[in-house]
Amino acid sequence: MEEFFTSAVIVGIFWATLRIATPLLLAALGELVCESSGILNLSLEGTMTMGAFAGFYVANETGSTVAGLVAAGLGGAFLSLIMALMTVTAKVNQVVAGLALNILGLGLAFFWYRSIYEAEGSIDIPTVETMAAPWEFFPIPWLTILALVMVPVVWVFLYRTKYGLELRSVGHNPEACDMRGVGIISRQYVAVVFGGVMAGLAGSFLSLGSTGLFFPDIISGRGWIALAIVIFGNWRATWVLVGSLLFGFLEATQLALQASDVDLPYQLLLALPFVLTIVALVFNRSRSNVPLSLTIPYHRGER
Amino acid sequence: MADQVTDRAPSDPQPPDGDRRRDPLSMLFQPGAWRIEKRLVVRPWHEFVTLVAALVAAVAIIAGLVLVIGKSPADSFAALYNGAFGTRESTLETLVQATPLILTGLAAAIAFRAGIWNIGGEGQFFAGVMGTWFVYDLWGGLPAPLLFVLMFISAAVAGAAWASVASGLLVRYGTNEILTTVMLNFVILYILSYLLAGPWQSPDTFYYQTQRMADTTYLPRFFSVSRLHWGFAIALLAALVVYWLIRRTTLGYEIRGIGSNVVASRYKGIRVGTVTLATMAISGALAGIAGFGELLGLHHRVQLDIAEGIGFTGIIIALVARLHPLGVIVAAILFGALVNGSTAMQYETGIPKALVFVIEGTTLALVLIAAIVSRYRIRKTG
Repeated sequence: MEEFFTSAVIVGIFWATLRIATPLLLAALGELVCESSGILNLSLEGTMTMGAFAGFYVANETGSTVAGLVAAGLGGAFLSLIMALMTVTAKVNQVVAGLALNILGLGLAFFWYRSIYEAEGSIDIPTVETMAAPWEFFPIPWLTILALVMVPVVWVFLYRTKYGLELRSVGHNPEACDMRGVGIISRQYVAVVFGGVMAGLAGSFLSLGSTGLFFPDIISGRGWIALAIVIFGNWRATWVLVGSLLFGFLEATQLALQASDVDLPYQLLLALPFVLTIVALVFNRSRSNVPLSLTIPYHRGER
Repeated sequence: MADQVTDRAPSDPQPPDGDRRRDPLSMLFQPGAWRIEKRLVVRPWHEFVTLVAALVAAVAIIAGLVLVIGKSPADSFAALYNGAFGTRESTLETLVQATPLILTGLAAAIAFRAGIWNIGGEGQFFAGVMGTWFVYDLWGGLPAPLLFVLMFISAAVAGAAWASVASGLLVRYGTNEILTTVMLNFVILYILSYLLAGPWQSPDTFYYQTQRMADTTYLPRFFSVSRLHWGFAIALLAALVVYWLIRRTTLGYEIRGIGSNVVASRYKGIRVGTVTLATMAISGALAGIAGFGELLGLHHRVQLDIAEGIGFTGIIIALVARLHPLGVIVAAILFGALVNGSTAMQYETGIPKALVFVIEGTTLALVLIAAIVSRYRIRKTG
């Protein structure tokens, strides 16, 4: 056990925590804004896969990582626009719409990937240049900086701007907003698409930010973890940051444990985020920040 | 009919008629000229027309996608169909694929009927697999009929127990069951991963899998040419039982009651908490039985990739079937056909299998939108 706590391992865990937390934080902040407007977007997994693929494809075609990043955002926006169309305009059940789009997002990404890169019978899948860190002495990736900066930005937006207040009001009480003339549809569209762009960027961190690769299983449950983080964080930006870092830390420790000979089942640390989320749901129930109209579609003139 | 009255005050300036005639598009969006309103009565043919329109749109989108990658849509659809229903063997294999989907579809349908959003079919399926293996591991030497019964009961109980974690929290603390069931899917996956890496791991391998089960525990097959096993009969029987339960029993009445109006049900004296617990237990048990069938009918050893999204697909099947237990059978066979046909399609035309996900996602999205659209109409007023 003592050999485990060497400085090399601890430094390794620190960097791994940041690396793992980045896509979680990006996606969770987007989902936070989305859920604040009363729309539960369960399709994070699919949206992130779309983002990861769109980013990879464009970066590979153009040779520009920045173009890839833009494409990743657009890929996420595309899928979330369908989500908004279904849930805000057509008022389809949000859970169902989310699951449908999850499959669609995964399917589109897998389908394009297979038809572009493997139909030709090539096994040498291209890799793209990853986004370099701005400073050599402290190699913190660009997207990690963006994710960390987005925490205060989202907090100020939700809690210190008029638009953010209105957006949260829409998530709590759309009837009252409608009566006051606050446009519900436009705000929900903005929130859902913002969430999609963030999820797309989160996906691109995995393909463009760290590996330079795309493979169909690249997201492997991170979308669901991001969803858990929003719940764990009780729908507050600061706690979303804490949750992302905590869940990132748990996974980083788990990876380090697997590499060492410490005899502790690593699955325990992997399951812990989900258990903690359920515990948080139970314990926060009296002071829960959950948007009161989450998953309830608003029909004008109906009760 | 209040909604026919235009809300424009008489003193409002009327738009000049000349403008309207010049631009048909702006005429369409002229407030008061056209309006979307709710139908007072939704007739079956309204639903039918929108459903057909949605399916046509879905086929068009998929065909477009296939064209984009330079293949022939007609050939690929033909390959898909032939792979699913072309021969007797492929038709039977479609039913093999449909077997677990019927059960997880029923699991979702009965919960959704009660207005409980059980997204945990995948986890409850795993619980069923684990329950089956648990009994086999413990009492594998018992005579076959007794062992089958014990494994079946254990699978159902394990699925029900795992579902009851979520429903217990829902009834006791009011925690959102959508969120808890999603989380529990992952928790059980890691529990299984731990068991497969340790206590249950087959001693002769490094893979996360158990030993192969003894031949005596294989579910009997109907025909020598096909993998179709007794699990299919169990699934059909389950559909009939669920149909009877929902339509003909007190519990079924109460399930439908809390699904349509919790408050009214409570006033009527229905114990909402008890019904919630019972519904989720039945739902989890059905998903658990799906795990029993897959393990003993096809896989014969526990592995982490045994579920392959069967629980999630069940949710979609339930919705496509409009939560009707017998409709679930039809929808599950259709989805089984897609899965089965896609392999042949990839082999024959080189179109990636993943197209099936796109077909599922697109169709579901459009069908869902169509169901809502059928409740509205566009009318010209004024």
